[in-house]
Amino acid sequence: MTTQLTFDQAPSAIRNPRPKPPSSFQKMYRHYRSSLIATGSILAGLLLWEFAARLIIRDKLFLVAPSEVIVRSIELLQTGEIQQHTATSAFEFFAGFALSAVVGVFGGLMIGTSKLTRNIATPWISALYSTPTVALSPLLILWFGLGMWSKVIVVFIVSVFPVLVNTQAGIEGADERLVETARAFGAKRSQIFTKVLLPAAVPFIVAGLRLGIGRGLVGVVVAELFGATSGLGYLITVSSQIFDMGALFAAVVILAGAGVISTELVKILERKIAPWRA
Amino acid sequence: MADALTLERSASAHTNAKMQVVNLVKRFENAATGQSMEALSDINLTVQKGEFLTIVGPSGCGKTTLLRILAGLIEPTSGQVLLDGVPITGPSPTLGFVFQSDNLMPWRTVWDNVGFGPEMRGERKKDYAPRIEHLLELVGLEGFAKYYPHQLSGGMRQRVNLARALAIEPDVLLMDEPFAALDAQMREIMQDELLRIWKETGNTVIFITHQIDEAIFLADRLLILAARPGRVQELMDIDLPRPRTLEIKRTPHFTEMADHVWHGIERQVRASIRHEQFASGAPKRSGAELAS
Ligand SMILES: Nc1ncnc2c1ncn2[C@@H]1O[C@H](COP(=O)(O)OP(=O)(O)O)[C@@H](O)[C@H]1O
Ligand SMILES: [Mg+2]
Repeated sequence: MTTQLTFDQAPSAIRNPRPKPPSSFQKMYRHYRSSLIATGSILAGLLLWEFAARLIIRDKLFLVAPSEVIVRSIELLQTGEIQQHTATSAFEFFAGFALSAVVGVFGGLMIGTSKLTRNIATPWISALYSTPTVALSPLLILWFGLGMWSKVIVVFIVSVFPVLVNTQAGIEGADERLVETARAFGAKRSQIFTKVLLPAAVPFIVAGLRLGIGRGLVGVVVAELFGATSGLGYLITVSSQIFDMGALFAAVVILAGAGVISTELVKILERKIAPWRA
Repeated sequence: MADALTLERSASAHTNAKMQVVNLVKRFENAATGQSMEALSDINLTVQKGEFLTIVGPSGCGKTTLLRILAGLIEPTSGQVLLDGVPITGPSPTLGFVFQSDNLMPWRTVWDNVGFGPEMRGERKKDYAPRIEHLLELVGLEGFAKYYPHQLSGGMRQRVNLARALAIEPDVLLMDEPFAALDAQMREIMQDELLRIWKETGNTVIFITHQIDEAIFLADRLLILAARPGRVQELMDIDLPRPRTLEIKRTPHFTEMADHVWHGIERQVRASIRHEQFASGAPKRSGAELAS
């Protein structure tokens, strides 16, 4: 619990106060340099891909070049197909994910603070957390139809558990000593929750949300593969049936972009609500 | 026990007792092994209003445990602690606690950590802000108000820890080895500051340290705790004149007292070093330690 300082220990070494934080210019440069390398790495990969598709494989059924993916994407944009499919998947994802964020965080807080809820929920969580619940998609589509709501529910089911489990871990992992400190300064139970347990759990909650995003995106596509009338997963199924590899890749690229953007958004959120971890 | 309590209570009527410890016993039960360990055995102690009491004793003799009981953070197994003649039942707003490990909230800036107590009490920020600014100046951290704890050195964090306890303007300051992490110069500056604050506020201070010269330099009275089980070995009056300056540490009388304290606990410390070597590798408070 408490760190012990003993007679036989030399007084601990004193660290010098930190130098001033680096200037914003230096920070920007560092940031800029790493994104420059990242962009270069992506471009090199695309070039290699283009090269392989044009000169080595050449069979458009096996591998289509990035340039052709771009051409096909523009066609799909002009017909408005891609917008429509993206909108469907985006709605399914955001509705399902928002639901699991709310349920996951509140559920996790309850399970983390109340023994009764914990005892009730733990067997369910252990059974479902590591189960690939996405396999339930066909059943959920049977129950809720080919439309968007079955996908919303799939996204919810696959992404709620990481949020729930991480939130609970954050609450339970809060430093006992800080709780005692708060008590010593007269904090009431509700204050211990809002001023100690909750902030201690924030980094865990954010980590849970990130995991949930990854799972949710997979959930949308897989559920749509099993049966849908619109959406990026549906576009993938249809394009593969008619060997339209350009459209298939266009859908995959959008999904990759969505993953990157949502993860970045969560990072920004973390910086806003947990600046002490910067 | 009832007799001792009545005795102590009646004593507090005509003396200036601030805190009284009556037949205090604390046992820790180890759920895993089913064994129980007596950390404190029958402690009796009266601390006067405005007194500066220091406590020394070998590591593991129950100093922190005693302080946590005085603060109302944990309950004694038996016996009582009276604050102004009233048994304490939980943390009191008139007690300020300086923890052995700094226990700062990593998500709060230095300013917000110092203001933690007033904020918990529901004081308005604009009412306590001047106090916080003043305390930050006092502990030499006025330029670091917006820093987070992870950006500070151990010594600076410990000063925030002290300022946080002072921010609630406590009657009694309970301090658990507060200067152990400071370098020698900073420690002497902080000792001086603490004596100045103590004189200014008229606080009662109960101060744990493992440094014998620090214990003598600060104290009106010095309590030597013996280990296993923790019990009062000796209570010494420190009759050095005040205000005290650093030169006092080089007077023959001071070194005599230091020798006396050291001899008083030497055997205990040696035993506890052997004990720790024996238990080394095992984390503190492990079953191994409790079982021995
Ligand atoms: N919460 C606890 N549970 C079990 N044992 C404890 C607990 N707190 C302290 N102890 C034991 O009580 C003894 C006294 O501990 P402590 O008061 O921290 O000593 P000190 O501060 O003098 O070094 C030690 O043997 C320690 O292992
Ligand atoms: Mg201690």
